[in-house]
Amino acid sequence: MTKKEELLKALSECVVEMEDDKVIPIAEEYIKSGYPAIDGLLLGLVDGMNKAADLYESEEYFIPELMICSDVMYNGMDILRPHLEMSDSQQKCKVVIGVVEGDTHDIGKNLVKIMLEAAGYEMIDLGRDVPAASFIDAVKNKGAKVVALSTLMSTAISNMQKVVELLDKEGLRDSIKVIVGGGPISLELAKKLGADGYSKNAVEAVKLVNRLMGA
Amino acid sequence: MMKRDSMTPAERGAAIANGMEVDRLPCNPNVANGVARVYGCKISEFNHNPKALAEAQVAAYRKFGYDSLRIFTDLFTWAEAMGATVAHHDDSTADLEKPAISRIEDIDKLRPADPYRDGRLPVHLDAMKYVRELAKDEIKCSAGIVGPFTNAFFLLGVNDTMKLIHKDPEVVHKLCSISLETCKAYAKAALDIGFGPTISEPMSSSTVVSPKAFREFSLPYLKELVDFIKDYDGTKVTMHICGQTEKIWKDVADLGIGGISIDNVASLEDCKLAIGHRTKIMGNVDPSGIMYLGTPRDVRIKTLESILHGYDSPKGYVVMSGCSLPVETPFENIQMMMDTVREVGYPVCPERVEGMLADCRK
Repeated sequence: MTKKEELLKALSECVVEMEDDKVIPIAEEYIKSGYPAIDGLLLGLVDGMNKAADLYESEEYFIPELMICSDVMYNGMDILRPHLEMSDSQQKCKVVIGVVEGDTHDIGKNLVKIMLEAAGYEMIDLGRDVPAASFIDAVKNKGAKVVALSTLMSTAISNMQKVVELLDKEGLRDSIKVIVGGGPISLELAKKLGADGYSKNAVEAVKLVNRLMGA
Repeated sequence: MMKRDSMTPAERGAAIANGMEVDRLPCNPNVANGVARVYGCKISEFNHNPKALAEAQVAAYRKFGYDSLRIFTDLFTWAEAMGATVAHHDDSTADLEKPAISRIEDIDKLRPADPYRDGRLPVHLDAMKYVRELAKDEIKCSAGIVGPFTNAFFLLGVNDTMKLIHKDPEVVHKLCSISLETCKAYAKAALDIGFGPTISEPMSSSTVVSPKAFREFSLPYLKELVDFIKDYDGTKVTMHICGQTEKIWKDVADLGIGGISIDNVASLEDCKLAIGHRTKIMGNVDPSGIMYLGTPRDVRIKTLESILHGYDSPKGYVVMSGCSLPVETPFENIQMMMDTVREVGYPVCPERVEGMLADCRK
């Protein structure tokens, strides 16, 4: 194994094993050794996040573990990002994401954002308790192709519907894919809401967006 | 004309407990703050007006005739009484705005809540006294409470506490342990009024934390709370955990509880096979997809399916929604759940229920 491969493996392992402090000196060493930042990101940190996602799917990892893994990934990214070449930052399409109005639970939304970001999508995060009109504005102003709506509260579901209706009214519905997720949401319900897709967790959300965007 | 009940919920409950005939299965659509819609008040009126809270609960019970009456408004009442800031909206359910402490260093400043003095706890206790006057012996009422583990998250913030499960387990134990004292004090105050506690433990769900984390951080404190309540006057609590719970059913049954209610993502049939011989099971009609957004026909189908899955559970079964209903759930859907249970009657004849289902699906 070359030194580069060893460092990439170490970066990946830091993410999987939740080593949020250890990742920083390893990322620094990686950059100091002159290796391309983009590889450190994709073959190191993102590889680790994908492995963490596999562990989540096999029910070895749960929400706390994924949250710490993503912290590690961000800590490493902070070191690598300034060294990325311009051409490295070619993104897949833009995705507007947010927790709909009436709800402030954002753990699920953040995990989806992280996973999509790791998969190369440019994320426009509107935060939580977001009014329907703000989603529409973001779609218009940023040229997003996907809107991802999240809620944990069954009481806020009607506000998801509002976003879909507003997109319709503004004539934007046909050029936008709407995906929904969160505790009370199901595939059945997503269809009723008029969404293009539903995923039951952050890992599935990446597959879903890839599928919808034909990636 | 729809069949009417010939027993009160209290008579029905007692008869079932003694293995006697009843008029129908017990049913709890799980109307939560939606009682405001029946009573015609805003949800914010519940926060400081115990009489409104009590009258709204009783009004909804009288309208639908269901078998459960619980004083509970939101998950944050106990954390608020320990110093958390809660956003009280005009007419929607309260939400956590700021946890009780923002730094681990402040953990020793936390104190257990005094149910007679702190936050909205006295409002809830007074509401119980009003309900007791209004409902008399018609229905056995309960006091909703969150479990110590769930409450712990609201003391230091959900995100931080989640990570501390790995990074500083002792802090999580401390938060749970002080939450337990609040839970015990509140449970005792409720029992003194004659209300049996029902514990909600959403954070214990395997949709959130691993069964391992549940066993290490939640279960020991739950056990102490359940035992405390049992030792106080023999009351067996009922328990609700949202999301997926299959891997922790046995742990929960081992607590020696009076019943467990499960979410629609968990299987009622599997739950019956796993722990139905040890405790009463309740659930699990989808509260949002079916009860809130579905048609009365959807409600009827899902209620009948639930009955077929649960009716023969050895220690009893209650038709129930998988979680608290959204505030704006249509009355006709709630009514449909009740009417369906009335029409099925008792003892449940599965062939007849199958027939009713087939008619519905035509």
